[in-house]
Amino acid sequence: MTAVVTLDSPPGMGRSVARALLPSRASVARVPEHVVRLAGVIQDRARLADYSRVTGLTLRDTVPPTWIHVLAFPLHVHLLSDAHATVRLVGAVHVSNTMRLQRPVSADEALDLAVHATTPRAHRRGALVDLVARAEVGGDVVWQGTSTYLATGMRAEGTPQDAPHEPFEPRALQGRWRLSSTLGRDYRRVSGDPNPIHTSRVAAKAFGFARPIIHGMWTHARALAALEQRLPSTYGVEVDFAKPILLPGTVGFRAADAPGGWDADVTTPDGAKPHLRMRVRP
Amino acid sequence: MSALEKAFTSKPGKAIAAKAGLKEPPRLARGRTWPEGAIVLAEIGESTLARETLALLGRSVESPIVDDGQEPAPGYGSRIGALVVDATGVTTIDQLEQLRAVLRPAVRGLAKSGRIVTLARPAEGDWEQRSVARALDGINRTVAKELRGGATATLVRVTPDTVAGDLVSTLGFVLQGRSAFVDGQAWSVGHTDSPATALDDRPLDGKVVVVTGAARGIGAAIARTLARDGAHIIAVDIPAAGESLAAVANEVGGSALQLDITAADAGRRIAEHAARAGGIYAVVHNAGITRDKMLVNTDAARWASVLDVNLAAQIRINDILLDPATDGGLVDGGRLVGIASTSGLAGNKGQTNYAASKAGVAGLVEAMAPDLAERLITVNAVAPGFIETEMTGRIPFVQREIFRRSNSLSQGGRPVDVAETIGYLLDPASKAVTGQVIRVCGQNLVGA
Amino acid sequence: MTHNAVVLGGNRIPFAKAGGPYAEASNHDLLTAALDGLVARFGLAGERLGEVAGGAVLKHPKDFNLTREVVLSSALSPSTPACDLQQACGTGLETVVYIANKIALGQIDVGIGAGVDSASDAPITVSDGLKRALLKANRARSAGARVKALAGIRPRHLAPQAPGVAEPRTGLSMGEHQALTTARWGIGRAEQDELAAASHHHLAQAWKDGFFDDLVTPYLGVAADAIMRPDTTVEKLGALKPVFGGPEGTMTAGNSTALSDGAATALIVSEEWAAARGLTPLARIVDAEVAAVDHPGGADLLLGPVAATGRMLARRGLTLDDVALVEIHEAFASTVLATLKAWEDAEYCRSVGLDSPIGSLDRSRLNVTGSSLAAGHPFAATGARLVPTLAKLLHERGPGTKGLISMCAAGGQGVVAILEAV
Repeated sequence: MTAVVTLDSPPGMGRSVARALLPSRASVARVPEHVVRLAGVIQDRARLADYSRVTGLTLRDTVPPTWIHVLAFPLHVHLLSDAHATVRLVGAVHVSNTMRLQRPVSADEALDLAVHATTPRAHRRGALVDLVARAEVGGDVVWQGTSTYLATGMRAEGTPQDAPHEPFEPRALQGRWRLSSTLGRDYRRVSGDPNPIHTSRVAAKAFGFARPIIHGMWTHARALAALEQRLPSTYGVEVDFAKPILLPGTVGFRAADAPGGWDADVTTPDGAKPHLRMRVRP
Repeated sequence: MSALEKAFTSKPGKAIAAKAGLKEPPRLARGRTWPEGAIVLAEIGESTLARETLALLGRSVESPIVDDGQEPAPGYGSRIGALVVDATGVTTIDQLEQLRAVLRPAVRGLAKSGRIVTLARPAEGDWEQRSVARALDGINRTVAKELRGGATATLVRVTPDTVAGDLVSTLGFVLQGRSAFVDGQAWSVGHTDSPATALDDRPLDGKVVVVTGAARGIGAAIARTLARDGAHIIAVDIPAAGESLAAVANEVGGSALQLDITAADAGRRIAEHAARAGGIYAVVHNAGITRDKMLVNTDAARWASVLDVNLAAQIRINDILLDPATDGGLVDGGRLVGIASTSGLAGNKGQTNYAASKAGVAGLVEAMAPDLAERLITVNAVAPGFIETEMTGRIPFVQREIFRRSNSLSQGGRPVDVAETIGYLLDPASKAVTGQVIRVCGQNLVGA
Repeated sequence: MTHNAVVLGGNRIPFAKAGGPYAEASNHDLLTAALDGLVARFGLAGERLGEVAGGAVLKHPKDFNLTREVVLSSALSPSTPACDLQQACGTGLETVVYIANKIALGQIDVGIGAGVDSASDAPITVSDGLKRALLKANRARSAGARVKALAGIRPRHLAPQAPGVAEPRTGLSMGEHQALTTARWGIGRAEQDELAAASHHHLAQAWKDGFFDDLVTPYLGVAADAIMRPDTTVEKLGALKPVFGGPEGTMTAGNSTALSDGAATALIVSEEWAAARGLTPLARIVDAEVAAVDHPGGADLLLGPVAATGRMLARRGLTLDDVALVEIHEAFASTVLATLKAWEDAEYCRSVGLDSPIGSLDRSRLNVTGSSLAAGHPFAATGARLVPTLAKLLHERGPGTKGLISMCAAGGQGVVAILEAV
């Protein structure tokens, strides 16, 4: 039976963050086995408003699914700051994300959040770990999200499963977004994601990027904002983060009807290569 | 989160809880899903009602394994999804043995979220016959308590003139995941002219359904579920809940009506709003409040507000909507559904006013049903037990955990469980079901 | 062929003081909430409407297409077109007139007039000095030239500039203009405070009666107008210090409208459209007119509607006695009082080109459910608040009942309209 660690208040972003940010020297990917739980999370409307502004969403009574990810994020950090974990936030690349909004969630609902990690699995470039988050209201699961991280260079048991990539076909773009150099800071403010790779040129260089890169979850939210009311009231959405976006920068956007939902891509400005691929399904 | 809840959800806490018999509750299969595994049909007597109804449902059936006294008792090779027993021919105590003989192997061989459904006659006939009718009730309730893995047992009473078309929506509901949290219950199906011929996946297509208290919780789930079944929803709630109400209405493609149902003109305003859509097919009186206090602390105001919102208001609204002169009123062949409560049926400490109002709802539907039969309007109620909502989320943990586990399924129900039951009652094919109070409580230990 | 444009209803969010509960919300957010509430009330989710016209007085440059963006964020079909209009405080009424005219001409059969303003989300712009320096630096061909251009920036250039509330031609704020009018027309302090108190009491009573149940949808947890003070009294208002007109002034924060946040919408359709949907229209839009006065030449800035009212009534062969209810937008209590005096003043009416005075209004017919002093005045929203409110009031009084709306606006303008219950 899985142990549950229940927090009394949102985990502080102090030492646990520092730990989560510290690259690990271990070579075997290991994650904690327990569930981190935080009950009765009150949503801050002012922060939601700020989040909406930064991501291009409309401030409403019902919240976007990516916002609930933001609320659950401190639990991700807390889990990966565990002494038992060798997979750390820094150095782990967010490669894909799946979330499902089971029913519209109101900004005035208190959420019970829980996050756990799955057993690392092998990948040809390292080890993959899923952080599985769940938000409940009164025992009903209202949202669940799985963030898949790649711990590059780490080992995990099993043989790498190469998931076939859907081929990317360049098509005409429907949008072009200009991302300002301050966007990383803006999104850090509303998301609480402190990873300096998004805000500091030095930190970005340390990880092989010429400039800071925008948070994948910003791009995700921005892509949902572009579809906004065309989204079903409850839906599942999967994204693959194909290639980081450097700040400042310009990207392309395109979306197309798919069975009951939408397929969308955030691409390079010429539409030739994808940064993010998104599938929305009811 | 309290220290106790923390202790309970911790690893050692869970281990202790498991030793004490508090296992993780089973996962219930929900929605328009059929049992996983064969449907076994046992017929005691000459009746072919169950067989015909299953044929209308398009389900193939298998023969039962019968416990004929050999030891060890015979069993099913693989798990079965459901056992349907046509016991309409059971009139004597001796015949009950035939029931035992098919139940024993089935109870052991039932898959998770499986179903045991018994069809029986109402208590009529000679003394023994009437006694046997009640005996079946005792069997159903007990089987429900002994089943594991989210399986449920239901007793459906059918009159001699009931035909397969009268029963098709009921048997479909009971067998499917829609009835996940209905357990150990018994209710009756009668007969009407031109019964249905099949189970429809969108039975409410284009029908106007008024749902009160629709802004959140159970009411919002009702609106969503009925909209899924094709209904055009008029979502009603108090003006202060207007923002969530608008979101629900826009989500289900219906319309929002901000209204205090206790207002004198509430019925008229609902009718005016509905007139545009050409009249109302069904009203689900879901709006309700609690003002809990022990009776020694209950003043007149607490008493009056609960009775007014939960009971008197719906009587006033019904009066207006049932008046044939009302433009936008309830159409003939329509549906009324009230929300009773296990608190009302069994009593609940600190809820005299609430229990009065909810038992009153049960009494109301029983009283109205025969009077409206001529207009082919059915009147029924559902009585939810412990349903997980934002409201119940505020109950202290220990109490909540006790409530939620005090039933045969060891868990709280979901708002959608109540909604699905209402969807079944609203199905045009359910026109032979009226005057019934169906508990959606997972066979709660309190009450009947 | 012409069609009758009728008001089917409306929806707004509760109005609130600037910097209050909606401080974090933008014009876009506020108007989307109001529009979604309207869509829900009338079951329009996913529908393509003829057009949505909306506007805001204080608008960010990025919101140049505000209303269309709001439609895209709303539950309406994304193929619903929209446009932005702006006529200062008259915007909300002008959008309704614009939609009604299109309906009358048969160009569309259903549309929405709307307005929104957020004094909390007011655009802050950079000074002209800074703008010039930045442009120059941008055009500079060499690094040296760029440095030189940027060196031209002075500390005073860096101060953000709040949107102008002063009349561009006179440099006077609206309150200062109204203070001149107040003195000129001899409007006393007591009558202003009485009018303000009545506005609060009428609005509070209407809320209590459930009048707004089908006109307002809560937003961000605010369920009723937040500026309203049901328990205010003439005495309490009398204790406030004047804010306009110097120490001897009579205009206070209590008898002037507060800076407000809010949004309002009105659903306007052809009679045929309403009939096809089985929807009951509240009132027909009979006529409307916009007028202006020469305020730089000394005319009373906020008495613009007087001439329009007189001409419109005359054109329709109506007198004030034919009008059962009157809504005069309460920019300031003294605006309403000066307007009423002007209506009675033969000389003033002649001076604006009317043949005779408009007449004297029995106060029991004025702003019977309160107005801007109590509800607040998110500039562009007010007209779209007034139209459904008056339409519902007229409908309650029975077919044929007529009502008049009079709104003053910046620039010496006035927008007026006549509604008639159907």
